[in-house]
Amino acid sequence: MTEEKPRIGVFVCHCGLNIAGVIDVKDLTDYARSLPDVFFAKDNRYTCADPGQDEIRKAIKENKLNRVVVAACSPRMHEPTFRKTCAEADLNPFFFEMANIREFSSWCHPSTPEEATEKAKEIVRMAVAKARLLQPLKEIEVPVTNKALVIGGGIAGINSALDLAEMGFKVYLLEKTESIGGHMAQLDKTFPTLDCSICIEGPKMVDVGRHSNIEIISYADLISVSGYVGNFKVKIKKKPRYIIADNCTGCGECRDVCPIEYPNEWDVNMGVRKAISVPFEQAVPLVYSINLDHCIECYKCVDSCGARQAINFDQEPEEIELDVGAIIVATGFDIYMPYDDPLYGYGKYDNVITALEFERLILAAGPTGGKVIRASDGKKPHSVAFIQCVGSRNLKKYEYCSGFCCMYALKNAILLKEKYKEDVEVYVLYMDMRTPFKGYEEFYRRARDLGVTFIRGRASHIIEDSQTKNLNIRAEDMTLGQPIELPAEMVVLCTAAVPKTDAGDLARILSISRDANGFFMESHPKLKPIDTPVDGIFVAGACQAPKDIPYSVSQGSGAAARAATILSKDKWKIEPIVAEVTPELCRNTRVKCGICADRCPYGSIEAIENQPAKVVTAMCHGCGTCVAECPADAIIQKHFTDEQIFAQIEEALKKNPEGKILGLLCNWCCYAGADLAGTSRFEYPPLIRPIRVMCSGRVDRDFVLEAFRRGAGMVMIGACHLPYDCHYISGNLRMKARMDALAPMLEKLGLSPHRFRVEYVSAAEGLKYAELMKEMAEKLDELGPEKIKAENAKLKPILDRMLAKKRPQKAQSSK
Amino acid sequence: MTAPEKNAKTTPKPTRFLLFLGCAIPYRVSSYEISTRKVLQQLGIELVEMPEYNCCGLPIDPVNHSMTLTLAARNLCLAEQQGLSIIALCPGCAGTLRKVNKKLKENKELKEEINGYLKATGLEFKGTIEAKHVLQLLVEDVGLEKIKASVKTPLTRLKVSEHAGCHVTRPADSVDFENPEDPQALKDLVEATGAEYVEYVDKLACCGAPIAGVNDRIPLQLTKEKLTHIRNAGAHAMVTVCPFCHMMFDTNQPRIERLFNETLRIPVLHYPQLLGLAMGFSPEELALKALRVDATQIVSRISGKEDAS
Repeated sequence: MTEEKPRIGVFVCHCGLNIAGVIDVKDLTDYARSLPDVFFAKDNRYTCADPGQDEIRKAIKENKLNRVVVAACSPRMHEPTFRKTCAEADLNPFFFEMANIREFSSWCHPSTPEEATEKAKEIVRMAVAKARLLQPLKEIEVPVTNKALVIGGGIAGINSALDLAEMGFKVYLLEKTESIGGHMAQLDKTFPTLDCSICIEGPKMVDVGRHSNIEIISYADLISVSGYVGNFKVKIKKKPRYIIADNCTGCGECRDVCPIEYPNEWDVNMGVRKAISVPFEQAVPLVYSINLDHCIECYKCVDSCGARQAINFDQEPEEIELDVGAIIVATGFDIYMPYDDPLYGYGKYDNVITALEFERLILAAGPTGGKVIRASDGKKPHSVAFIQCVGSRNLKKYEYCSGFCCMYALKNAILLKEKYKEDVEVYVLYMDMRTPFKGYEEFYRRARDLGVTFIRGRASHIIEDSQTKNLNIRAEDMTLGQPIELPAEMVVLCTAAVPKTDAGDLARILSISRDANGFFMESHPKLKPIDTPVDGIFVAGACQAPKDIPYSVSQGSGAAARAATILSKDKWKIEPIVAEVTPELCRNTRVKCGICADRCPYGSIEAIENQPAKVVTAMCHGCGTCVAECPADAIIQKHFTDEQIFAQIEEALKKNPEGKILGLLCNWCCYAGADLAGTSRFEYPPLIRPIRVMCSGRVDRDFVLEAFRRGAGMVMIGACHLPYDCHYISGNLRMKARMDALAPMLEKLGLSPHRFRVEYVSAAEGLKYAELMKEMAEKLDELGPEKIKAENAKLKPILDRMLAKKRPQKAQSSK
Repeated sequence: MTAPEKNAKTTPKPTRFLLFLGCAIPYRVSSYEISTRKVLQQLGIELVEMPEYNCCGLPIDPVNHSMTLTLAARNLCLAEQQGLSIIALCPGCAGTLRKVNKKLKENKELKEEINGYLKATGLEFKGTIEAKHVLQLLVEDVGLEKIKASVKTPLTRLKVSEHAGCHVTRPADSVDFENPEDPQALKDLVEATGAEYVEYVDKLACCGAPIAGVNDRIPLQLTKEKLTHIRNAGAHAMVTVCPFCHMMFDTNQPRIERLFNETLRIPVLHYPQLLGLAMGFSPEELALKALRVDATQIVSRISGKEDAS
């Protein structure tokens, strides 16, 4: 790359009157033209419209421009548009920089046009300074392995696997237990149609088993995942079944002779299975396994298997490695077992059971042959009460609504009523009945027509009669406004759906994040509900949040389609705003450092001892956290280099620095929140000079020091809310740790505490941003320029020294 | 001092505490104070008098929250001056002191505000001591092992129920002691005396005291229901650890009997009285006579002369 002298073109947009109505556009354009290295400046009515873009393309050609700055709206709006415009004029798209003078100036300072113009000039000057230092970047391409891994063989995973297989991709379906099927295979009927659950899922399970593109890896655990989008390396450990799968015909003769029975977990421990068995008849793959914890090694099974020779007591765990291009996580959920709830007496009272236990009771193929009976006396209950929201919608347990419990309670109530008619009273105690989807409300009506009694109110307490083992439910009937006592012979607790116990381990292996409730987090709750923050890994089904069957099936298919966007390509393109290590500067060659590898939210940095650290570019998401963390300043983030940001700081604070707030705003939350303050036309004092970084994790302490060295009145870091809002998993947490250490140091050096701020503003908090600006302006006014100048004068020699040591080239260039 | 403790401790637990009596105990249930002093002395806990203490602050809370904070903070400051933590017998006092202590320790701005009010008295809240209820002291600082070891005559012939009351555990966030929906401490302490613990329906229900004064019949009805459940469960006696609960179950019991035309006659002891009996103190030393419901049948049952009843 040859270093040409920058020839910058600045294009100032009127945006109709949106900008020109407040800012003196002519004055601004003249000002831009006067800046060093600016060879061309022009204003036009709508830069983003075709004529405006034409003008840019023409100017690049005619004036041999090699940098373009557009002063218009937010880069979050039109940066991609103008990058494309540049590319069309054969200019590298990363030679483009945007000055946000609409959201950040004309829209939020309409009553002070002079100050708004002044602010716009400085924003343009900052953009020009950055443009001067821009480097051309090339999009990165990686090859793609056209195979997929689906983790979890429940109804969501089954659908993902089938869809991908039908599209022609090879799919590995990893299942932890002995058979695919998931929770759906345990259920009796499904709402609102009352189809038999296994009758509709069974054929799909068989399809999976038979599909030539699908390989089921059951009774196996995920050990590790490395690599990146298109190129994942997956390690799996298969647990020994003590059966040679290829030789097992699934005939069941071994089971018939086995003398040992143990509780069947798949039957919620209400039924039993043999020490050599399958968990249920419809299991796929139909391969038996031996539970050595219970087997007495009588070898009767070996005799009955005979010539088929399918039994091998010497089987060992086996590790296998797979290469895949995309991963779908569909690991499902667990059911909350309310042993720790002293008020409902689960585990203490015989006739208080969970809804999943009830499913196994009323299921014709279940342990009681479909008879609903009480554990205390084996008799049919004449009154059954369903209690909703056990654990769910409870601030002390699980804050969220589990979503499907209202519907399965209705289903179970209807099944009871249809089965036992007048012989059973059915009650449902609920907080709100939630029946929003197709056919659900009608189903609710059907339950009411059948005579199910619905009582609005939360049960506070269940008391057991020690003789009869009947139960007495204390509740409030909100409709009557009275406390009630409801006798019932059986109580069914509709308990919360909760994250799988091993969801944390899986999140760590995959480097994906979890939400406050512990479910896997989607990339964006509205627009990327199936993606995870890691490219090439998708979520489907209840592992992301509780979901019913149709929703899980749709999401399973959705995830398959998302994965196919990668698998269908030979090469995958990656945005080049990534981190890069300068090997000569890396300390890891001399001492054991590896800080960058430790702090990277994506595990995308390798720091092997005695070697310089290396960024795996395809895994890097470009947050820049490692860049700010590196003690040797050996890492650069492309397009957001230290030099570029230092240049922006310098320009921002050239005039009257003590009256200004230097803002370092993360692209996804605070910058977006500031944009929203503009779009909402919230007016605030025009004191802030904002610098955009992709993530607050990128904010180096040196940026803060440099800003104060240059006399800033205040410095504000604007980040996503803690702990889960960060677009880069944990960049904001890293920034917080860094700044928590810096703040007391600055205070000790005599800086008034209000002058250095870390603020958390979400993309929706435009009002908060505006209020914050007002409040900070007041504080700034309270402190007064004299006090600030005095504090800065005291700080300057120390900061000069601190920064000179680290960045001699910077200290010089600023003079 | 009794048997040596088995668990080797790294830091010795404090054995000196300031005694905070509050308002109700000295005036209306002094038997609670008398028996507590006896029992704690036997367990090696030294109680130091707290001079010049004022109201814990709880009664004024619905009217003026800052006043509550300031009143409680003043008490805490007095304790800080002596460098001793506070033990309160009334759960209302204990809960308030504990809550305010926690709040002021955690909230710098609130601390500054309250210290502003305290300035006139020459006091300043620093946050150097703890405040707890005697139940918590027995379970956490003394320990069940030591209490069991102090028992001379295990009360094996006695069936005992309890009512722990609300403020000992609630509000859970600030009291931070045990699960209010499944409290264990008083149960363990009853069992430590050798008595048989009797569960009953509605153990967690209210004693009625908070409504007394506003309405007479509802609180007495609540108390009656609880006493009936306790009688039906076969208990010979029950224990309380709160002056207000005690007044409902004991002082008001004859009134309940008259009002509802029922015979209950369930002796209601302060827990320290029960423990004291197991330690071998005489009924007189424990002020058992001060109880409204005659407890002599309990004493005879313990000593094996129950044929009198």
